[in-house]
Amino acid sequence: MSATTAPPTAVGTPRVKERGPGGGVINRRRGSVATVIMLVLAIAWLFPLLWALYNSFREYSYTQVNGYFSVGGWTLDNYQEAWSRGNFGLHLKNSLLITVPAVALTLFLSSLVAFVLARFSYRFNLTLLGVFLAANLLPPQALLIPVFRMFREIPLPTFMSESGTMLNSFWALIFVNTAFQMGFCAFVLSNYMKTLPHEIYESAELDGASVWRQYWQLTMPLVRPALAALATLQVTWIYNEFFWATVLISRGEKFPVTSALNNLRGQFFADTNLVAAGSIIVALPVLIVFFVLQKQFVSGLTLGSTKG
Amino acid sequence: MARPASRDTSLTVPASFSAVNRRSLLRGALGAGALLTVPGALAACGGDTATSGGGGASAAPGPVKFGMNEAKGSGPAYERLQAMADAYAQKAGVEVSANAVDHNTFQESISTYLQGTPDDVFTWFAGYRMAQFAENGVIADISDVWPIDGLSDAFKEASTAPDGNQYFVPVSYYPWAVFYRKSVFEKNGWAEPTSLDELNALMEDMQGKKVTPFAFAAKDAWAPMGTFDILNMRLNGYDFHMQLTKGEQKWDSPEVRNVFQTWKTLLPYHQENALGRTWQEAATSMANEECGMYLLGTFVVDGVPAETQDDLDFFTFPALDASIGSDALDAPIDGFCVAAATDNEEAAKAFIGWLGTAEAADAANSSASAPFIAANSNASTEAYGALQKKSAEVVQNAKSIAQFLDRDTNADLANTVITASIQDFLKNPDNIDSITTSIQQQAASILG
Repeated sequence: MSATTAPPTAVGTPRVKERGPGGGVINRRRGSVATVIMLVLAIAWLFPLLWALYNSFREYSYTQVNGYFSVGGWTLDNYQEAWSRGNFGLHLKNSLLITVPAVALTLFLSSLVAFVLARFSYRFNLTLLGVFLAANLLPPQALLIPVFRMFREIPLPTFMSESGTMLNSFWALIFVNTAFQMGFCAFVLSNYMKTLPHEIYESAELDGASVWRQYWQLTMPLVRPALAALATLQVTWIYNEFFWATVLISRGEKFPVTSALNNLRGQFFADTNLVAAGSIIVALPVLIVFFVLQKQFVSGLTLGSTKG
Repeated sequence: MARPASRDTSLTVPASFSAVNRRSLLRGALGAGALLTVPGALAACGGDTATSGGGGASAAPGPVKFGMNEAKGSGPAYERLQAMADAYAQKAGVEVSANAVDHNTFQESISTYLQGTPDDVFTWFAGYRMAQFAENGVIADISDVWPIDGLSDAFKEASTAPDGNQYFVPVSYYPWAVFYRKSVFEKNGWAEPTSLDELNALMEDMQGKKVTPFAFAAKDAWAPMGTFDILNMRLNGYDFHMQLTKGEQKWDSPEVRNVFQTWKTLLPYHQENALGRTWQEAATSMANEECGMYLLGTFVVDGVPAETQDDLDFFTFPALDASIGSDALDAPIDGFCVAAATDNEEAAKAFIGWLGTAEAADAANSSASAPFIAANSNASTEAYGALQKKSAEVVQNAKSIAQFLDRDTNADLANTVITASIQDFLKNPDNIDSITTSIQQQAASILG
């Protein structure tokens, strides 16, 4: 971050000269400039969020009369009402039922792909990786109609889906999310697996380990940091997913929590403070996941970016 | 391939619409002509006194799936729909399984909903939005549940698609009118204007007393359409409004330009910087006495603080052209349709027929915390507040009822083209010619 905010002149000058006695990449003056810029950016990003948080603790009738820049009208009712009106208990459960299987399936399938791509050198390895990545570049909106029609034609037994098709079932969301996230996961995991020393696979071969065993008992424990980082990212992304849920689900009680946030708005009238409280509730699980697994998250961003 | 096909179907629209319009010129009162469209319906009408309260008495009740455009527990609108579902389940002894989706999501995903796994009966709107689905064959012809006792011919016409069959059962409506605070008008000695001169005098007086005559908001892009509609209907009449929304009149015609021109002269009497204001904020500024009046739907009461709600009253926009008068207004009708994809049409028809009855409206209004204005004239008005009683009266006295611009025309045209163009006009009121030309070009390509 700091490297990109430094003035462009730094590019032309040799790097060695820039390193002062302090040993950092940028000198003190540039460091403080970077800090100020980052501070401004951070405030610009955080301000709307904090303002929403602030107003979520205030009554609509108070802010309606006094405006949003006022102080006062404190209440906790917004949270209580958002929880009950938005029916968040049910919808958080729906989100859980979609996110957990989708993340597990994504990681499992993409680690299989990554293992093959990293461990064996077939001629089509690069093509295969390219295909997986290409799917990542495709905007999901472009696939809206084909996926919708396809899912409408796929029958499911009624114990899996009341509608009798993939539409209106959690399966649809689990599969769609898995498909869209696999490209990225396969890419990161295969790059990470390529950094594992080849020698350990040779010794494993010598000890008579099958390919499956090399994957499950050797590779998987070694890529655990990468899996943890990806799991954090994937939980965040799939939990926040909004588009497919509104397209593939049309039964009110099956919406994940992100789509259910709309329940707090009426046909015409919207209590903005209530919506703010609801948004905070919806954002909380992601924040918790992020702060608990922050270390993995940050290190995960650079995972696989360098091949050892 | 899809393009020419859709052009073919849309070519047939104006023809059938114009047939209806010729008749609408012939008949005196609204709606009477709808009966002429279907000779069969006349026969059915002959003995309609025999029709029971159940509407489609022939259809056998059975378990139905009911799609509602209000989220569970979201307030009175949901309570009313659920009350109707419960009352029917009890009366007919069948199961009504409800699917409650919030209003905006339901509306935005309606086409995937109808093509996917729709419920048998679902909430929808009268007007072009219903007609479009009827034409595409995604909603079922339910002309055999009509006539329904207590629903007037005007409502029957609003439920009729261009092919002359009914596809809709109305349940409620809400009119658009000019709202004001009774106490504020009393204090200042103001009176409801009944002519353009009186309106002008009132606005001048308000400005003299440092009150902005009209509260105005355009951040919700649909809100200013109400002003456009009423000016259009006052200056050019209801028939012109209907022809315009169906593509039979041009958006760059002198009539439409005149509407924008008139609007431009009225803009100085409206709140400034409307583009950054939501209707709720505008309603609040009327409640605060910063503004004198606000042209909006009856839902305006939700936007003012509770203590001022009882102080609200309204009048219909006065006539701008004596030869056209002031007997047309916007009063969007909400109701129900049967999905064509249903595999249980008999039960769906039995249910939808019942939903149109006074019994259904009473079931809704007696158990919800706030009532709707029932479409059925036999429904009890006991639960109505003063505003609703007056609304019902005003709508009954109106000669022509429009559905609101975005419900009377193609949804793409309304929501992407006209909304943006009106906002553009509010930003640059002098660009009327280029704005109307651009709407017409886009309307021509959308309506075909």
